[in-house]
Amino acid sequence: MSILKLFGKGFQTASKKSRLLVYLWLVNILFALIIIVPFYFLVQGDFENSFSGESLSTFSPLWLGDIIYKYQNVFPAVVGGLLIPGLLFVLLYVFLNGGIIGRIAAAEEKINLAGFFSDCGKYFWRFVRVSLMSLVGYVVVLGILMKIVSIPFEAWIKNASGDWSNIIAQNLKFLITILLLSVVQMFFDYVRISLVLEASTKTLRASSSTLSFLAGRFFKAWPLYLLVDVFLAAGSILLWVLGNQIPKGIGGLVVLFFWIQIVIVFRLWVKLVFFTTEYHFYRAHKF
Amino acid sequence: MKRSKPAFRSLLLCFLILTWTTGFSLPAFAQGTAPLRYEIWVELDNVQKMLRGKEEIVWTNASKDVVPDMYLHLYYNAFKNEKSTVSRENKEETMFGGDRIEDGQWGWIDITSIQLADGRDLKPTMEFVAKDEPLHPGDQTVVRVVFPEPVKPAESVHLMLEFQSKIPRGAMRTGYYQNSYFIAQWFPKPGVYEEGKGWNCHEYHLSSEFFADFADFKVHITVPENFVVGASGKQVQAVSDDAQKKVSYTYAQSQIHDFAWTASPNFIKIERDFVADQEVTPQEYAEVAGKLGMSVEEIKLPDVKMILLIQRQHKNQSEYHFKALRAAIKYYGLWYGPYPYETVTMVDPPFRTGSGGMEYPTLFTAGTRVLRSGDVLSPAGVIVHEFGHGYWYGLSANNEFEEAWLDEGINTYSTGKVLAKAFGPGAMAFVFKGIPLNWFIPFPKFYDYETDRAAAINIVAYDPIVTRSWEFYNRGSYSANVYMRAATCLDTLERFVGDETMAKIMRTFQMRFRYKHPTTRDFIGVASEIAGKDMTWFFEELFYTTLNFDYGIGSLTSVEKPKYVRGIFEVDGKKEEMTGRKIRELEAKEKEGKPDPQKAVYLTTVILRRFGEARVRPDAPLKVKVVFEDGTEEVRTWDGQERWARMAFEKPAKARSAQIDPDTVWLIDSNLANNSYQFKKARAGIFRFTAKVLFLVQNYLQSLGGLI
Repeated sequence: MSILKLFGKGFQTASKKSRLLVYLWLVNILFALIIIVPFYFLVQGDFENSFSGESLSTFSPLWLGDIIYKYQNVFPAVVGGLLIPGLLFVLLYVFLNGGIIGRIAAAEEKINLAGFFSDCGKYFWRFVRVSLMSLVGYVVVLGILMKIVSIPFEAWIKNASGDWSNIIAQNLKFLITILLLSVVQMFFDYVRISLVLEASTKTLRASSSTLSFLAGRFFKAWPLYLLVDVFLAAGSILLWVLGNQIPKGIGGLVVLFFWIQIVIVFRLWVKLVFFTTEYHFYRAHKF
Repeated sequence: MKRSKPAFRSLLLCFLILTWTTGFSLPAFAQGTAPLRYEIWVELDNVQKMLRGKEEIVWTNASKDVVPDMYLHLYYNAFKNEKSTVSRENKEETMFGGDRIEDGQWGWIDITSIQLADGRDLKPTMEFVAKDEPLHPGDQTVVRVVFPEPVKPAESVHLMLEFQSKIPRGAMRTGYYQNSYFIAQWFPKPGVYEEGKGWNCHEYHLSSEFFADFADFKVHITVPENFVVGASGKQVQAVSDDAQKKVSYTYAQSQIHDFAWTASPNFIKIERDFVADQEVTPQEYAEVAGKLGMSVEEIKLPDVKMILLIQRQHKNQSEYHFKALRAAIKYYGLWYGPYPYETVTMVDPPFRTGSGGMEYPTLFTAGTRVLRSGDVLSPAGVIVHEFGHGYWYGLSANNEFEEAWLDEGINTYSTGKVLAKAFGPGAMAFVFKGIPLNWFIPFPKFYDYETDRAAAINIVAYDPIVTRSWEFYNRGSYSANVYMRAATCLDTLERFVGDETMAKIMRTFQMRFRYKHPTTRDFIGVASEIAGKDMTWFFEELFYTTLNFDYGIGSLTSVEKPKYVRGIFEVDGKKEEMTGRKIRELEAKEKEGKPDPQKAVYLTTVILRRFGEARVRPDAPLKVKVVFEDGTEEVRTWDGQERWARMAFEKPAKARSAQIDPDTVWLIDSNLANNSYQFKKARAGIFRFTAKVLFLVQNYLQSLGGLI
């Protein structure tokens, strides 16, 4: 099956499983609100009755200076308030991934909360192990591979005679980093899919079999993955352009809120498309 | 530049070498009238990355003291080893430290010979001096020599030196990369003799610039023939030595206090003229003259030769560089006084020489990127700023070691005004991997005074603005205080005394202290004189202390004034009690009839607070404005001396809002949000702001979730 056909199929499946988006979106916004609500009340307390309150709608260094001044002692708490829920969210996402892939694999079944959470629980510990292994993958890419990749670039820019060498080298390095990270992400996506489809509990064995699975099909699987990335980038740009057209005022505020949620839902949906295309690719080549 | 014919050039070069090797016999120079005169011959060794030079200094004792010695700066020794003051301070720096000179990249300067014109050797008396505290005894950036006989008032001393320097690889404003050089603070330079105090000659510090006396300079620079050279002053000669494949350029300039130069085969040299009559319209002259209370003739600008040395990779930005420089020459000239030199040389600093964004008399370095966004005022900002230092530091030459705000703060304030006038607001530059994000994202634009204030209000607790440069808490405090906080305080001063008065203060200060070394007290004197009142308190409060300035509205209440009150009252000679019940009955009766809104009286109470420690003066009270529901407003003043004050208003309408300092005169106020209180809640702004933060947080979470 061609890459485009698989992409189309993944697209269709993701659309059929759109109820998953509701679950994921709810989790996302609830977590975000937990982080944001104390901050909202803090700002409300200081700005609600001030003339400066209205100016918060557009960026100004005047109120930014005020905020830094007022909350400089709160910054460690803000950082903590972002990091701790962030880590919890990562753990939660590991949990949710089980439900997402489990429900995608249950092709004919309707999506309901019970089935979703049942899969979340069923695959949780397996996926925790996969996530820990993926950390090793990131360390290998960022800590070892990128150092090796940097050597020729550094040699090149060391004796550069202008800015262009630097810019080209930096961007090429960045592109290579992104591509290598995409390989790591894709690989561990397939490990998760394999664990679900093969009904296996052995993560190491699943990793090894995924390695041999992808070894022969890498140049089909990776372009498919990158195609979804391109789709994500294109959609994000389009949404960004639309977002810049949002008017100010109360009406604009409502539109702004909806636009924000559309962006988030789009990102969640693309996440589903990643899994569904990989699922179809795996099935097409494995079974 | 037009070169001489080769044969004549060689002859001239021989003459120069001859005079160099036979004892500096330059009678015209020696008989000059400036209290300090330099003639320097320097050759660039492109292979060894060395400078070899000879220098003649004539110094006249203009004080009433008898001076036994001389202190000289040897700035290049700051890069000699890790015992230098700069190196030690760099290690102790808590914010912008960590600049490290790599092995093999050190720089240094040696005086190989120093004698008087009559041949008496001063070298045996030479000793390094490091007096600034904390002491760094290993520093070698200041050297003292003792004269055989003290120099009496009005007497001159004639020194002849030979020196050689290793150019550092690229350290603090000077250095080389491949075949390109920026050479600054490179020659032995006397400190400034201050009557009754002695030599003011500080070590080279990490957070400091320079201080020197005005002098006449004549400098002969010999470089490989394919090098393009730019330097302080005006090029008066270029002599080629075809055999040696070298060229000697001679630059001369009087009334400057430093000399820097640059050389590179990669420069493109472009010249343009600033023609005042084409740049400034009669209306502009008339407008500025009116503001300053001067005649148009008094503020007429001279023409200036603009020279740009630009890297090939930035050639397409040449005209942008000139546009910014034209604006700077025009507005600094109109507002603060005409630019007095014939030339200004603008250098796009050689790649990786660490020399960008720095000022020298009649020459400055800018700095740009190959990719730039039109929304960002870069390099316009740095061009205007560094040219502006030609005024604030170049002409009004304060001691940058001791009172850096006098040039950096005043010039940051001036830069903001010129940029606003010539370019309008600009966006901050956001660059990712060399690519301007401003191309894709329309970041908001704002004026310099807004960003300056954001830094200014957050640094007050660390140091007073007037602090010796090396004694700031760290480089962050140094920068934010002497640049942004000082500029914000000057913006505040402008709002306080008014635009016209401020314009007069700035021009008077510049013109009165041209070719002099003014201090903060001089600035306060001018400000008080022009404002017509003693402004010392303003500076004492904001420049010499770390007092935070923050006035605000503590609370605002507005209630209907009760018609009836409880208690015992004399009615027809009898004591009657007005009870709560009686009041309720009377009020109920009134409600049955048609209410008369005209008769309702509202009692509005505003509590004013002084949250900060800094205070205004009683003769400079703060304005308080209260606006009422019926559209009327009342403005009162508060002397601001106590921690709080209550203001009461009885009006036929409820209050809508109260505001202290409604015209935002006190821009330095660290919390503008608490300056106003309104009953109508500003929900839309807060929701919109929170929605944007929500967007960031949701994306942050989603990105984290996508990683695993």
